[in-house]
Amino acid sequence: MVLEATMICVDNSEWMRNGDYSPSRFQAQADAINLICGAKTQANPENTVGVLTMAGKGVRVLATPTSDLGRILACMHGLEMGGEMNIASAIQVAQLALKHRQNKNQQQRIIVFAGSPVKYEKKVLEMIGKKLKKNSVALDIVDFGEEDDGKPEKLEALLSAVNNNDSSHMIHVPPGPDALSDVLISTPVFTSGGEGGSGFAVAAAAATAAAIGGSSGYDFDVDPNIDPELALALRVSMEEERARQEAAAKRSADEAGRQGEEPSSKSEDVTMTESGDVSVLNEDKKLTDDMVDENDLLKQALSMSMNISGSGNSACDTEMSEATNADQELALALQMSMQESAGEPSSQSDVSKVLEDQSFLSSILESLPGVDPNDPSVKELLASLKNQSPGKDEENPSNEEK
Amino acid sequence: MACLHDHSCEDHDCSSDWSLYKHIDLPKVSALNEAVPGSVKSVFKAWEERLNSSGGHLESNEGDPELLIFIPFTSDVKIKSISIVGGVDGTSPSKMRAFINREGIDFSDAQGMQAIQEWDLVENFQGVLEYQTRYSKFQNVASITLHFPDSFGGDTTKIEYIGFKGEATQLKRDVVATIVYELRPNPSDHKTKAEGGGLSHVE
Repeated sequence: MVLEATMICVDNSEWMRNGDYSPSRFQAQADAINLICGAKTQANPENTVGVLTMAGKGVRVLATPTSDLGRILACMHGLEMGGEMNIASAIQVAQLALKHRQNKNQQQRIIVFAGSPVKYEKKVLEMIGKKLKKNSVALDIVDFGEEDDGKPEKLEALLSAVNNNDSSHMIHVPPGPDALSDVLISTPVFTSGGEGGSGFAVAAAAATAAAIGGSSGYDFDVDPNIDPELALALRVSMEEERARQEAAAKRSADEAGRQGEEPSSKSEDVTMTESGDVSVLNEDKKLTDDMVDENDLLKQALSMSMNISGSGNSACDTEMSEATNADQELALALQMSMQESAGEPSSQSDVSKVLEDQSFLSSILESLPGVDPNDPSVKELLASLKNQSPGKDEENPSNEEK
Repeated sequence: MACLHDHSCEDHDCSSDWSLYKHIDLPKVSALNEAVPGSVKSVFKAWEERLNSSGGHLESNEGDPELLIFIPFTSDVKIKSISIVGGVDGTSPSKMRAFINREGIDFSDAQGMQAIQEWDLVENFQGVLEYQTRYSKFQNVASITLHFPDSFGGDTTKIEYIGFKGEATQLKRDVVATIVYELRPNPSDHKTKAEGGGLSHVE
C-alpha cells in the first residue's frame, strides 16, 4: 500500500487514430488509463493521480494530481487527437507537476503511454532518465502502437537510466485481440502497489474475463469464484449433452459397421470438433480444484466402467457395445476423452492423467458407496486403465489420419 | 575548531555531547541521489561508532557526487556543531549547505535557495573536526536538510558518519502517529456510554 502520486502522460497524437488495437489505439489507451486510476486510488485512499497530454497543441496538464476519480475521467472525455508526441517535455512537465504535489510524503511516479515514434535522441532521453532517478521519481513506460526502428532501444535506454531498484518498468504491448488494459492488468503497472494493487488487479481481471466470455477466461460467462454452483451446473449439463451426442453418433456408426476402429474414429471426429470445449472445461476443472467432491459425473463414470470391465480388457470399443445404453454414454465419454488425450498432448490429457494417478483414483473409489478398494475387480480396473494409455498410442495414429 | 581535549576523544564526556543522534527520527530520514535506497540511515550512529563502517555507508550514484539528506528530529533541538566523516580517495564532500525546517526540498530547490549556512569542508577521516553553526539560527530545529553539492574530485561522494552536537529541548513537534480515516460513518465506532447499541446519539 505504497503512498504514491502518479502523473499519467497520454499520447493523443495522430498515430492514435489507428485501429490495430480495438476499437482504436486512443480508446484502448483511455480504457487502460481509467483502470490505472481506479487501481491507484483503491490501493491507497491517499494516492493521487494526474493526467497530461503529450501531443495536440502541446504538452498540457489536464488534471493535477488528485484523488478524485470523477475529475480524471471527465478530463479524458472529449480529448482530441492531433500533432506529434513530445516525450521529453512531457516527462519534464510531469516531473514538475509531481514536485508541487500537496503531500510531500508521496512517492513520485510517471506513467508514459508511448504509442507514436520517439523523435528524441537516446542521449537526451538518458539525461532525462538520470534526472528522474536523482530526484527519485519512478517511471513506467507502456510501449504500444508504432514499432518504429530505434524506438524500443531508446525507451530501454530511458528505462535503464531511470531504474532504481526495479521501481520502474517497461511493458511492450504488441497489437492483438487482447485489449490494452487486459494486458496491463497483469503487469507491474497495476501490481506495483503491493497487496492492494494486486487485489484490484485480480478482481478486474476476473471481471473483464467474465465480460468477454472466455477466450482466455471462463466458460459460460460465469466466474467460478463468484458463483460456483451455477458454474458447476452449467458445466455438468454441458458434459451430459456432449456425452449424449457422442453416444448417438457412436450408435449410428455402430449400426453401419462393427469394426473396432471405425466407430471410434468417427466418434473421435465428433469429439474432436468439440475438443476446444473439452480443453477449456478441463481448465475449468483445474480452476475449481476439489474434483473429488464436486465431480459426481466422474464417480458415476468410474462405477459404470467398473461394472463393465470385469475382464480388464483394453479394447474399449467392443466392451462398450456390450453395455447398456445409459452405461454406454458415460463410459464412452470417458473412454473417448482418454483416447484423445493419449494422442493429443493437450490439456485433455489431464483427465486421463488424473485417472491414472493411483492414489487419486483410490481416494475416489474409497469415497464411493459400496466400493472396496481391495476388491480384485477394482484392482483389475486400475491396472487396465494404466495399460490403456500405451495401448491407445498404437490405435490413435491410425485414427487421427481420418 | 578541533576538539581541544588532551585525551583521546573516545572518552565518555565527548560522546555524550554528540548524542543528538538519539533524537533523530530515523524512519523518516531520506536522501536524494543515494546509490542504495535506505543506506542514508546507516550514517547516524554514536560517536564511538563513527569510524565503524560495518553498517554500511552512504554513497551517491555513479558520476554524480551531489547528495541531499533530509533529517527530521523527534523533538526540537539546538545544534551547536556538525561533524562529517567522508570517504577516501577524493570522495569526501567538499561543501555543505544546510536548510532548516523545510520539507520536500529537491535538487533544483536546493541549488536555487539561499542556505541558512554554508561550510567548506576538509577531508576528515578520523572524525575529529567539527563545523560550528551560527547558534542563533539553529535554535528550534525540527528538521535539517544537508546539501553536499560536490566532492574532492571523486566520481561519487561517500559519507560514513554525520554527527550533531547540541541539546535537545523536550518540546515534541505535533506529530500524529496514526490517523484512521473514515470514508464512511460507521455507527459501531460512535457508541456512547448511555446507549450500548442501537442508534448512536450525538450530544
